[in-house]
Amino acid sequence: MDFKDYYSSLGVARDATAEDIKKAFRKLARKYHPDVSKEKNAEARMKEVNEAYAVLSDPEKRAAYDHLGQGYQPGQDFRPPPDWDAGFEFSDPGVSRSEAADFSDFFTELFGRIGRDGPRGGERDFHAQGGDHHAKVLLDPEDAFRGAMRQISLRVPRLDDRGRVVVDTRTLNVQIPKGVREGQMIRLAGQGAPGMGEGKAGDLLLEVHFRLHPRFRMEGRDLYMTLRVAPWEAALGAIVPVLLPDGGEIKVRIPEGAQSGRRLRVRGKGIPADPPGDLLLDVQVVVPPASNARARELYESMARDLAFDPRAENEG
Amino acid sequence: MRDDDILTAIMLEEACLSIEELASACAVSTEWIVRHVEAGAFSTLSGAAADWRFSSRDLWRARRVRALERDFDAVPELAALVADLLEEVDALRARLRRAGLA
Repeated sequence: MDFKDYYSSLGVARDATAEDIKKAFRKLARKYHPDVSKEKNAEARMKEVNEAYAVLSDPEKRAAYDHLGQGYQPGQDFRPPPDWDAGFEFSDPGVSRSEAADFSDFFTELFGRIGRDGPRGGERDFHAQGGDHHAKVLLDPEDAFRGAMRQISLRVPRLDDRGRVVVDTRTLNVQIPKGVREGQMIRLAGQGAPGMGEGKAGDLLLEVHFRLHPRFRMEGRDLYMTLRVAPWEAALGAIVPVLLPDGGEIKVRIPEGAQSGRRLRVRGKGIPADPPGDLLLDVQVVVPPASNARARELYESMARDLAFDPRAENEG
Repeated sequence: MRDDDILTAIMLEEACLSIEELASACAVSTEWIVRHVEAGAFSTLSGAAADWRFSSRDLWRARRVRALERDFDAVPELAALVADLLEEVDALRARLRRAGLA
């Protein structure tokens, strides 16, 4: 286990005041805010900053960390002495078990100690009933049409025999039904954090998100695709095949005189929810290259015979 | 339960979480949620707290508001305003993605 230098994580000196530490944390929380940050690895940096702040903003944890860290360099291999926390009394664990799951092993090893006798004042995570877990699950658009089996790994904090928090990795195989849509929540009953004593386990809530796909876009129950058509299909109208995410194929009628940017709606062919969504096709006219003599001749005869000005008003 | 058992997920409707479930999923107290509903931080809810139902959007919102209050000592109204703006950014980014521009 590597020793972590929490002072350098926050960019403060070892003798920084509580006010300096708070200021430094806020500045970094602003810089690495996952919703707005343009920085690379913003999420990982934010976790590091949160962890450092959880220790340095708490006088008891900071004192223990300072005492223990004497003589250690960042990245140096680190093993806490077995009785390292003798003489330090942590009045409040301060960090909830669900938050501790995000922190490093270094943190868990040092500060995972919570009284063996159970919760002390103010720790709201220690309801008798286990807390719900909440995780995102990333699917491919095809999965909404066919259903999917996904293996989900969760970091689950629990108390060991010595009353310390340890983090286990638990793997679940989950059958996700077809018809799920972006942002929808699905529930796995009884798969959340275990309850304490007689309390029942919480539920595991999964929130569905779809990966970006080169062909398909999802919005609610609706499926969006670009439909590429030849100029003559657009001009004359045509019936063309469209391949759906479930591998099926439907025939779609292109109306005569369709232009690029026109949107066609096929009812009931979106995500197979109840009720099903629609399929929306954005027409894109693709111009064949004038790559040989015959093609050039055809274009030249169109130019001559059609007298078409795409820039004239009310055209296109 | 063994790790290789297969669990079948149940789809939840749009507004599906009770106040206890929401509180538990974002590690806040039910009182915190009541206080923020009363301050207008969540979509309009009426009736008794036990009848309120929250969506996944509310869940993200609760987490954001809580993080803003904790990290920046934001007052609930400011945290709700920032959450509004972040949600709008999310919606606009989603539109850009759908238009193939991002």
